[in-house]
Amino acid sequence: MIQLKNVSKKFSNNGQKPVQALKETNLVINQGEFVAIVGPSGSGKSSMMNILGMLDRPTSGEYYFENREINTLSEDELASIRNKKIGFVFQKFHLLPKTTALENVELPLLYSDRKNIRGLALDALKQVGLEERATHRANELSGGQQQRVAIARALVNEPEIIFADEPTGNLDSASGQEIMKIFQELNEAGKTIVLITHDLTIAAYAKRTIQIHDGIVNEN
Amino acid sequence: MNKKETLKSSLRILKRNKMRTFFMVLGIIIGVASLSITFTIGRGFQKQITERAKKYLGSSDILVTAVKIKLEGKSVDNNLVSSLTIDDLKAIASEIPLVSTYAPVQFLPNCEIIAGNKNISTSVRGSSATGQIVWNRGVIKGDYFDDAEELNATRVALIGTKIAETLFGESDPIGAQIRIGDVPFTVKGVLEPKGIDPHGNDMDFDIVVPITTMMKRLMNVDYIAMAKIVISDENRMDEAVSGITAVLNERHHITNGESDFLILTPTFVKEKIKEMTKVFNVFLPLISLIALLAAGIVIVVLMLMSVNERISEIGLRKAVGARSKDVVSQFLIEVSITSLLGGIIGITIGLICFKVFCSIIKISFFIPWQIYVFGVLLPILVGIIAGIIPARKAAKYNPIEALR
Repeated sequence: MIQLKNVSKKFSNNGQKPVQALKETNLVINQGEFVAIVGPSGSGKSSMMNILGMLDRPTSGEYYFENREINTLSEDELASIRNKKIGFVFQKFHLLPKTTALENVELPLLYSDRKNIRGLALDALKQVGLEERATHRANELSGGQQQRVAIARALVNEPEIIFADEPTGNLDSASGQEIMKIFQELNEAGKTIVLITHDLTIAAYAKRTIQIHDGIVNEN
Repeated sequence: MNKKETLKSSLRILKRNKMRTFFMVLGIIIGVASLSITFTIGRGFQKQITERAKKYLGSSDILVTAVKIKLEGKSVDNNLVSSLTIDDLKAIASEIPLVSTYAPVQFLPNCEIIAGNKNISTSVRGSSATGQIVWNRGVIKGDYFDDAEELNATRVALIGTKIAETLFGESDPIGAQIRIGDVPFTVKGVLEPKGIDPHGNDMDFDIVVPITTMMKRLMNVDYIAMAKIVISDENRMDEAVSGITAVLNERHHITNGESDFLILTPTFVKEKIKEMTKVFNVFLPLISLIALLAAGIVIVVLMLMSVNERISEIGLRKAVGARSKDVVSQFLIEVSITSLLGGIIGITIGLICFKVFCSIIKISFFIPWQIYVFGVLLPILVGIIAGIIPARKAAKYNPIEALR
């Protein structure tokens, strides 16, 4: 499903020495996998997630998504792939605060050609057990609930793969476990999940762990 | 992008940021309201003057006045010694077959009218028996004076309804004696009520006497101040005007082009009215346009603030699949809704003010079509122009940086 060939990412900050966030990375992720990418902060795992999630482009190397070379695609084409094939869950949830849970979940559907937006969003909320909170505003929900809304938003357009960047980072351990269980269930139902974390206990929920250190990938 | 849902979501965003939306709408309201108030009032004045002028000068009427009567001035200079005579009019009528009828006019302002122990000061007008057709004003009581009375300079007078009311109250004025200055007259008829003339005078205070009586017995002059000439075909106005000019030039021996008369046609009057109302129709709306420009600047500032506040929202939208043009559309839809709302409220305020104004200046209320341009297209245009810079700034954000 995903293949990185010699992918590197360099950041150059005005005049300062460029930072090599990813070095000659090779990686394959197959459909239905539950992969954890683990590393300390500054290890390059966020750069990895941004490239895998098509939010950023590699400086060099090739990225194949469903056998399609991503580097040659335009910004709009990438946006369209993100919309249809990828779901994101962020550490800070990134919900629209004064907006209801349901409307937050609907957001990706605004940029798709799907019909019955409301119904699909309700179904997604049901999947994460939050249908009763549908009309609550995001800022009225607890952290765990907010992250579940974010997962529903990632699921709503039925993506092939979900990227979760430190999804439990802002949650207490009980809520964190709940969230991880949801990911497990989703994976059991066939979704490909890529989890980015520095926390080995969280990474333990995944079936496969990839270590990243100083931009270099090591598979266990 | 799903247009219906995006529209709904824009409405929600505007609703949730009430303060910002309020000030954006307010800016547009002030701009559009001032623009539509000044514009409609200009149109109102124009309509009022045009309506009054129409009463005075129909589409097949020509006014010939002795030099230089000013249409916008109060009245003809009463010391004016003119070279225009009744014989000139007779010559015009006989030499130009297009002329169907005419009526000479002479004025005497500020005359004291006395009846018994009551008196009133008003202007007296001399006219001919044809006056009732030419000026489209007959009598509602008694009779108009006839050709014989005109020929013999008989001392008969037609009085306006308000004169009749002031001097005679409830009793019948027909046959009663009045004095104009020192000269006694018999009231022969009461003139149809007509209201205000283009100079702003109340025509129901008019007194009309035969032109010959006016010239011989009240003024002792052999000239007239002006005349109204009616032609049989309004489409041949230009031909009639050049005919009249030629006859008068010849009779007054004018060769150097300095006429001692002025010919007013409905077209000429229309032009004059346009010139007079220019300040309302052009200059004041231009000033109001500045208010709308200020609204545009308010929009730019508030939108830039909005973009800065919503960086992470923009990043999120892009991450979940919004293209740059979707982000631009989102902001432009928001600004268009705000502008349209402000525009509609603005023209509503403008039209309410105009309705009040219409009832004050006594014209029937109407909605000039341009108001829809001012109220709908212009604010949306201003909004979009003002919104495009912030919207494009928003669209340029890199989703990763925006989400940080």
